[in-house]
Amino acid sequence: MIPDLAQEGRAQEQQWVPEPQAPVVMFNNVGKTYGRYQAIGGISLALSGGVTGILGLNGAGKSTLFKLLMGKLQPTQGEVRLFGTNPWKNPAPYARVGYVPENENMHDWMTAHEFVSTFARLHGLTRDEAKQEAERVLEFVGLTDVMHKKIGRYSKGMRQRAKIAHALVNDPDLIILDEPLQGCDPLARTTIMNVIRELGRMGRTVLLSSHILSEIERITEQIVILHQGKLLAIGNLHAIREQLDNIPHTIEIECSNAKSLAKDVLNLEVVHGLQFPSPTKLKIFTHHLGEFHKRLPKIIVDNEHDVMVINNPDDDLQSILGYLTGGFR
Amino acid sequence: MEKKRGETIWTALDRKATAIAEFTVRQYRTRLSTWVVLGVGFLAISVVLLFYIDAMNSEIEAIDNDGDSYDWDGDGYVNGQEFKYGTDVNDPFSHPGLLDPPIEAEPASMYVNEDDYDWDYSDTSSTWDAKDNDGDCVDSSLLPSQKDDNGDGIVCNIVLRYDSMTKSYSVYADPNVDEDPDEDRYGKEAQHRAFILGVGKLGFVFLLSIFIPLFLATGLIRDEMTSGTMQYMTAKPIARGEIFLYRMLGYLAIVWPYLLIVCALLALVSGFMGPGDQFYRFGDLGVWFSILIAALLATLVYGMLFAFLGVLWKYGIILALPIAAWELGMALLSMSVPESSFLRMSIVGWSMSIIDSGAYLAWPDMAMFTEAGAWAGGSNDMSSFLFIGGNELPGYGALEWAQSDLGLGMGPYATTIVSILVLFSQALFFWFIGQLIFKSKEIV
Repeated sequence: MIPDLAQEGRAQEQQWVPEPQAPVVMFNNVGKTYGRYQAIGGISLALSGGVTGILGLNGAGKSTLFKLLMGKLQPTQGEVRLFGTNPWKNPAPYARVGYVPENENMHDWMTAHEFVSTFARLHGLTRDEAKQEAERVLEFVGLTDVMHKKIGRYSKGMRQRAKIAHALVNDPDLIILDEPLQGCDPLARTTIMNVIRELGRMGRTVLLSSHILSEIERITEQIVILHQGKLLAIGNLHAIREQLDNIPHTIEIECSNAKSLAKDVLNLEVVHGLQFPSPTKLKIFTHHLGEFHKRLPKIIVDNEHDVMVINNPDDDLQSILGYLTGGFR
Repeated sequence: MEKKRGETIWTALDRKATAIAEFTVRQYRTRLSTWVVLGVGFLAISVVLLFYIDAMNSEIEAIDNDGDSYDWDGDGYVNGQEFKYGTDVNDPFSHPGLLDPPIEAEPASMYVNEDDYDWDYSDTSSTWDAKDNDGDCVDSSLLPSQKDDNGDGIVCNIVLRYDSMTKSYSVYADPNVDEDPDEDRYGKEAQHRAFILGVGKLGFVFLLSIFIPLFLATGLIRDEMTSGTMQYMTAKPIARGEIFLYRMLGYLAIVWPYLLIVCALLALVSGFMGPGDQFYRFGDLGVWFSILIAALLATLVYGMLFAFLGVLWKYGIILALPIAAWELGMALLSMSVPESSFLRMSIVGWSMSIIDSGAYLAWPDMAMFTEAGAWAGGSNDMSSFLFIGGNELPGYGALEWAQSDLGLGMGPYATTIVSILVLFSQALFFWFIGQLIFKSKEIV
């Protein structure tokens, strides 16, 4: 908001008041097309509180969804509401939002401290307040020791964390992270996941996108699956899985003695087939994945099996999408 | 947000405005292209300055405008001396050496530039009792009627007529009065003024004020959009119009001090190097000030315009180039036809009006001074029986080219104020449509 110059000597900013009881994020039949290409079509969704993972393959419309929310794109149909306010051409609700874009370009000539404190001032903080705030959020993401180095010399994971830090200034109620784990090394990945989980515990609404199911799984169970610009599923990841239970799943277990494990596993009524690709490998077919995973640990512990790896080759996004869209691999 | 004590509009601006402005300044500083552009601009101006210094240091060759240093009859006495003593310039057996007592022949160099202008250019009265320094009017054997060529009843004087329609002066001089001006004195002054006006109009208002914004301001918003870094700024609670404006402030924080430094440098050098007996030409500072004001406003307006073109189209520089060409045409037009109404559709025209007003105030004698250069002691007066040359005084051509009248038909103060207001509204206009387009731009 432009300060009202008519006010004598005092800065008077028009206050934006969020609509009470409105969901933090709401899409009502939202569509976005670029020429003839439909990025997303007819999405209706309301989210408030907690950490939500937006899952989808590349080009599913995850970034488009976020950009619509951040007023960077104008919807071609439907309405987008951020705290009950239309974000297009209206930056007021961003005071309560932190946005981490997918874009990898950053201001490489700045240090992380300068970067974060500069953008903190855009929230209306003074120079000193912004400095303190920058130090606080940089500590939160674990960059304190390198915050006076130029961003251009950062690793991918450090850059992501600097981006997250800049989004966390002014303690936003909603944090949007577009592919925050992409290209990060395992250590940065763990740090960022911890940061996101911590934000969830603090009661913030967090939206993060990813195309890797296992990443999201380690952070949250609440997911939204996008596919080809359409909303495919919404809800608890395991609840979605439960729906898939009547579909046979394959589980691969690597252990020292596949045959003895097979004997114990076969006693489970949910298992309906076995295969031995090698002496140390066991392939198990089940109709009820959730039930199987619930009982498997007990079998392993009771019989002292030496299990190295448990693999769910089906349990990736690709196969879930396959099941949900009706295609049976 | 609760208002704290001591919270003013300035402390509020210090949050967002200076954050973006500082950010922009530092971004410019880290870019090599900024220094290349500013450096090339400085070099271009410095080259012109070197030419000026060279001109000020080289003596302008004295020309004998009235032919008094010649000895037509070869009797050893130059014409000027013969005129003075009333002997025949064409008769070798008539010269001052034959008078009683005989007069020694004087060297020819005494009769070059021997009758300089002794008018006060700023005196706009219509007649002067111009001093006939060498006496070849007063002392000559001409009839009184021949000594009063302009027919005003006074012998050996000069009548000046001011034509309010053309705003120019005409000189009607009696013969051999102020007829042999000092080329060096006039030429240095004319070259000095022509340099200040020329470098102000073409150097500052055209070259620097168009090309610096062209390279520095076109990408102000566009570069951030194409690189994707605009994602960060537009995700903060700040209107895009403000981003546009504060980025502009950062641009001005680089360009304005630069113009101030270059302008001050030229004012300093030309003030000390310039002609005249004084230690420093303080009188020129008014013109330099008007040049600075014009350049500051021009860089503001062009900056807004080019930044707007950058927002409008990724290849906004392609749109900016024809505009720059148009402005060059307008710059040249304003120097020759300052009253042309085409100039009102340019930025350069208004900026140059400010410089012309400054020159008008600092050098009120300009119109008469220019006319004196054209008159050149009567050597351009074909009817004069002593017509030799037909050339203007040195420096006149440059001055005539560099200076122009006030084209708005108003006084200098009114012209300045109107021009400043117009330039400000142009800047405001470009900002307004620029931010309007920026606001409705999707940031992919």
